[in-house]
Parts: sequence; C-alpha cells; structure tokens
Amino acid sequence: MDRYIIVGNGVAGVTAAQSIARARPGADLHIYAAEPYPYYRRPQLPDYIAGIVAEADIFYRPPEWYEQQGIRVHLSAPVAELDPSAHRLRLADGAIVPYDQLLLATGGLAWMPPIEGADRRGVFTLRTLDDARAIRQFARSVRRGVVVGGGLLGLETARALRTLGLEVTVLEFAPYLMPRQLDREGAAVLETLLHRMGIQTVTGAVTEAILGDGAVRGVRLKDGREFPADLVVCSTGIRSDVALARQAGLAVNRGVVVDENLQTSAPDVYAAGDVAEAGGIVYGIVPAAIEQARVAAANMVAPGSATYSGTLPATTLKVVGAELTSLGECVAEGTDLLQLRRADPQNGRYRKLALREGRIVGAILLNEREHTSPIRQLMERGTDVSAYTDLLMEENPDWNRVTAA
Amino acid sequence: MEKWECMVCGYIYDPAKGDPSRGIPPGTPFEALPEDWSCPDCGATKDMFEKV
Repeated sequence: MDRYIIVGNGVAGVTAAQSIARARPGADLHIYAAEPYPYYRRPQLPDYIAGIVAEADIFYRPPEWYEQQGIRVHLSAPVAELDPSAHRLRLADGAIVPYDQLLLATGGLAWMPPIEGADRRGVFTLRTLDDARAIRQFARSVRRGVVVGGGLLGLETARALRTLGLEVTVLEFAPYLMPRQLDREGAAVLETLLHRMGIQTVTGAVTEAILGDGAVRGVRLKDGREFPADLVVCSTGIRSDVALARQAGLAVNRGVVVDENLQTSAPDVYAAGDVAEAGGIVYGIVPAAIEQARVAAANMVAPGSATYSGTLPATTLKVVGAELTSLGECVAEGTDLLQLRRADPQNGRYRKLALREGRIVGAILLNEREHTSPIRQLMERGTDVSAYTDLLMEENPDWNRVTAA
Repeated sequence: MEKWECMVCGYIYDPAKGDPSRGIPPGTPFEALPEDWSCPDCGATKDMFEKV
C-alpha cells in the first residue's frame, strides 16, 4: 500500500490530506507538523490578539477530527531532512520516515527586514499562534505600539492592538496604503477610517532602526523622525518556507518551483500553498492554497490526473471592518482613461470608476456594498456608460436606468 | 434557514443577510449560492463551508 506523507498542517496540508483520504479510504496517510497544535484558523489571529475570538474557537477542528478522517497527524514533529532519491524523510528527533508520495505544504514565514535593533525585546512578527500569544501577553503591560507595514495583516494587527487599548501608529513604506488595491484618493479615505479608530498612520515611512537598550523604546525612520514605542510588530511580508526543499536540492526560486501537476523537480514530491511557486507565482492566498492542494492530492493518488492553471485573486477583501472591492484596471493611470471619483470620508466610502471609450474597465469600491454588484455587471457586459457619467457618481444611482441603456 | 461557517476563517454565511455586494439577495439559502461563490472574507471555496 502506498504511503502518503504531507509536511505541513495549514490550509494546504489539511485540504490535501482530506482529498487523499476521500480518494483512497484507509490509505496510509500522515501529516507531519512542526507546530504543537492541530489545525487552527490563521486569519483569525488578529481577532484572537484583540480578545474578540477565544483561543478555543480558532481550533475549529478537535484533535480527534484527523483520526475520524483517516489521517494520522504527528504534532511537534519538524522534518529535518528530505532525501528524494531514497524517498524518505528524517525528522528532527532522528526518526526515518519513508514515503511513496510526498507533499510539501510548509507554508510561509514572516519576513523580518534587516532593521537595526530587530532583536530587541518587544519586537514581534505575526504568523503563528505562538506569535499571537506572545504579542497578546506582551501588549497587556505596555502603552504604545508601532506596526511596521501597512498591508492587510499590518492594519488588522494595528486594529487588534488598538482594541486592547494601546496607542498605535502604522508605518508604511509606500507613498499611500494598499497601493495594489487603492489609488491615492481611496487610500486617504481608508486613512480617515483608521484615524477615527484612533490609529495613526505614516506613509512614505522608511524604517531604519528599532531603538532601545534591551527593550524597545521606539522606532526611527530614515528621515530622522522617531516614534516612541514599547511594542513593535513587523508586518513586512511572508516568504515561502523553502528550507527543506533547498536542503533536498529541489528547484527553488522565490518558492518551491512546481509544474502544472504541482510536482517539484523531484519525482513523487509535490508542493502546494504558500511554499509553492506555480507558473512563476507564489500566490499566498487561501483560494490558491485550496485549489493547489486538491490538484496535488489528485496527482499523488493518480499521477498526471489533474492540472493547475492559476487562481484569480479575490476582488473583495475586508480591511479593518471595511469592505474593499478592486476590479480590473483599478489603479491604472493613463490619458486614455477617464477617472470618475466620489470620496465620502465622513462615511468611510469611496467609489472610483475608470472608463475607456465609455466602458468601465476598472473600479475601486470602499464600503459601497449595494453598488458593487451593479458596477461589476456593467463592467462584465461592457455597457457604454458615457451618457451617464453624472449618474454614476450620485450617492445612490438608479442602476436600472443605466443597465436598461 | 441554516447558517454556514467557513472552515478557514470563521466567516458565517447568514441567509437572512445574503451577500449583497456580489448580487446575492437576502433570503438566499446557502445551497442556492452559485458553485463559484466563495468566502467574502478569505476567498475559500463553497465546499469549505460547514453547517453551523
């Protein structure tokens, strides 16, 4: 009987294990996890820090769940070495684990930029439950927090610290927040929302050093400005955890390079989720992890049976409680584009439509829930809206008038 | 009508509310959501949801 081994216990690892268990009931199927915990919901870690979600609730699956699914899970069992030619793993405790089919689903690691003083007490990154526990514990006894990095996770972390009562400042490298989803005007509305929550924001902020002696005292920017802080969270991105693949001599670029079957450069070794680089892309998003895990699992059970052709990123995301939808050429600039904007910072709302030859080719919609679907339809249908530019910017447009056009 | 929960992030689909920003009107049961509908918070596919 074939033995299936999965390294990693996140969304990709667990989804793949479930797929294999369904396709091959009774299979010799194992998950090896470096962390001591059964599967937990990583996206909920900021809410856990804030005290909004109890620790018990982020463990969605009881430990018995694995067994019920026919999966043997080995916790606190980091893998030290992979030998693809011998088809075996060596665990950190020395045990040898042979496999027939292997999936690398080791995920990503928080990336710490080379900032002076990053090793001081009170400096954290946020990726694992242990990170979240440490931040929550430390935040209890301090007053001022700085978050380096104004991406989605950084902003959620800032909100969590604010909920705990800290004074919070976010330092963002880019000239404005979330430049892939927002334009400058939209980012200004988001900043207004953050300021109203009591979160300060500084953009164009190049962090140079974390100050203090032993414990954190503050953060200094390259332009000399200093921000006092007792706690610093660096939220400056996730990097694929490629250590095992690299040691094994697999092809590694930004992530572990996989082909359209999600096989790595070694036979019978697959990769999925945040560790994998498919078609030159490390996706780092939940839907890609799920899709890749299913394709990899199908090929582990029946080689060559499934192919992966990429995942479209979700167009809507939640940021500090606001709903943000970015469609098509949302941040494109150009003289061939007519940009229509409606900013309502008071209500935290923003609507930007980009028109080319009378057709909507891009949109940014912040807290515009009821208008998102009609605008998406106009875009998909390629409706000529050039006669309705005033109506498109009304607070509550009568969409029927446009769609009937 | 039953609520459904996203296994990945904990989002709860409430049929009474629907998912208006993606054209799903209030009163739509989970079973009637299109197959390509996904979690509004994390993007997980419809089959990653379980009944609460």
